[in-house]
Amino acid sequence: MGLTEILTMSHELALIAALIILLISEIFSDEKSKYKFIPLAFALILGAGVVGLIFGKTGIIFGGMYQNDALRMAMKLILDLATLIVFLQSTEWIKHPHNKNRVLEFYLLVFATLIGMNFMISSGDFLMFYLGLELATIPIAALAAFDRLKNNSAEAGIKLILSSALSTGLLLYGLSMIYGTTGSIYFSEIKELITLNSLSMLGMIFFITGMAFKISLAPFHFWTADVYQGSPIAVTSYLSVVSKGAAIFIFTFVLYNVFGATSAIWTQILVMLSVITMTIGNLFALRQQNLKRFLAYSSIAQAGFIMLGILGQSAIGMGSVIYFLLIYIFSNLGAFGVVAIISAQTGKETIADYRGLYATNPKLSLALMLALFSLAGIPPVAGFFGKLFLFNAAASQGYYWLLFVAVVNATISLYYYLLPVKAMFIEKTDSPIATFKAKPYMALSVAICMVGLVVTGFASVIFEYLVSVSSGL
Amino acid sequence: MNFHETFFILLAAIIMIFSVLVVTTDKILRAATYLLFVLLATAGLYYWLQYEFMAAVQVALYAGGIVVLIVFSVLLTHQIHHKLVSITLTRKLLAFGIAGLGALVSIVTIVNYDFNTAPAEAMKVDVRQIGLHLVNTGHNGFALPFEVVSILLLAALIGAITIAKKEESNSDNI
Repeated sequence: MGLTEILTMSHELALIAALIILLISEIFSDEKSKYKFIPLAFALILGAGVVGLIFGKTGIIFGGMYQNDALRMAMKLILDLATLIVFLQSTEWIKHPHNKNRVLEFYLLVFATLIGMNFMISSGDFLMFYLGLELATIPIAALAAFDRLKNNSAEAGIKLILSSALSTGLLLYGLSMIYGTTGSIYFSEIKELITLNSLSMLGMIFFITGMAFKISLAPFHFWTADVYQGSPIAVTSYLSVVSKGAAIFIFTFVLYNVFGATSAIWTQILVMLSVITMTIGNLFALRQQNLKRFLAYSSIAQAGFIMLGILGQSAIGMGSVIYFLLIYIFSNLGAFGVVAIISAQTGKETIADYRGLYATNPKLSLALMLALFSLAGIPPVAGFFGKLFLFNAAASQGYYWLLFVAVVNATISLYYYLLPVKAMFIEKTDSPIATFKAKPYMALSVAICMVGLVVTGFASVIFEYLVSVSSGL
Repeated sequence: MNFHETFFILLAAIIMIFSVLVVTTDKILRAATYLLFVLLATAGLYYWLQYEFMAAVQVALYAGGIVVLIVFSVLLTHQIHHKLVSITLTRKLLAFGIAGLGALVSIVTIVNYDFNTAPAEAMKVDVRQIGLHLVNTGHNGFALPFEVVSILLLAALIGAITIAKKEESNSDNI
């Protein structure tokens, strides 16, 4: 194979180059220049995205182990953008004196996971899929334990590694059954060879179980609570947005393109998982006072809604899932960004602390309101269209009672998403958070999210493009 | 039952018994020792399948390398006398029940499945072939996974260093 073929994976190569550049730059750095890694990391993630955008091309290389098409390229760019936003939001946290010895390591680990996610997204067989998944998971355990002197951060790390070991074990066992029945690890070959028999179905169920752990679908969500709470806020947002997005993408892709012939079975499983996930995620989120945990739990419920799109089993279904992921990134990271800004400035994180925020910090309040409205799906914010298309995809397959459950759950979620809004705009307090100016990087990250929310909501061309490059069953 | 089958049952029994012992013992160094037997018996399985190279790798890498590493890290971190917290009986029963149910479903499904019968003659895999597959970029070649594994190892190393790195002495504890 020649150079032109290898350039099919230029996006991954750019990320690997970024990893190496970061590693080498450590040699030339001293005590004082540590914080120069921060803008360097911004530049490298932007550069990788640009390289992926310009030089990215579709193709199948390595005998089918690596595949790139327009949809995958779009997904990789979405993940790059989300990572950039997370980087912007993490600047204040990483500059904290406690982290001064590990500034570079944070970026190295994030780049490593991003490489893993890219290879996972582009995998054409279960071996590359598995390797990408591991590469996207193991460094995150180290990230979760980043504040390791805090007990709950160390706990988050160990819980993440143990639960992912269990889920990966299940997943691999399932894949070995698939291999035992079809004799192949390539997606394209399994698609042709797979039949409805008890062993391959057990393998598929193990696969879905393993992925449900990664996406934290109920009832496999138990690790999520402690890990999200214990991890540093930047890692929590990365985990609940970027990792989850990549896992959902490949989950949808494998269900459509490998287990397409057995959709009668997995749609039933997904319906169950969807109902349980939406309901349990909402019940969890209802009780939260701490905004960090509130957002983390609500992201469990959001994953339940995404299952509706997957059930669409069509190009529109796939497109609506990716479109929703894009909106979800903007709205969730926008909300996380505002919480991170206020937390870094004042250390306050509970809903009650936000009382009267609109009077003192109107811009932040509006941004948080917009992000929460989008998560709740209130028109005309982008989140409304995202949910609408997901519901539409499920309706096209006739899942009406499931839609009913989803609408009830969306209404419940409206209640708790509006609680912080009510605190900010309506409730009065004698000692609101004082007026302050947000740090430029963090303000920029929230601004990007807000622009993204407006643009993705109103530019229908984005949804149309995603559907046009998607493929159904 | 011929010698061939007896040998398999023996190896399988060793793997199963010591696997259970690894996770049930409350002394961490003993768990590492039991793991050694599991890994050696797995190497025996590869010999039994006539994958001599795999067996050698298994002994050298896992039994020789990984277990020694585990023992070293246990000794270096002074956790040798550390006893694990004992688990309540209800939890043990619950875990045993779930695991047993899972095993039952899997075993019944696998036993009842009509596998394609393998060729009577075991496939000879020589080292040269393995090497060629590892650098092959075509179909059934493993060049790409081989390279990605090295990134995985690099990332795992960085992750381990991040966690193990000492805080500066002048920085106060969190």
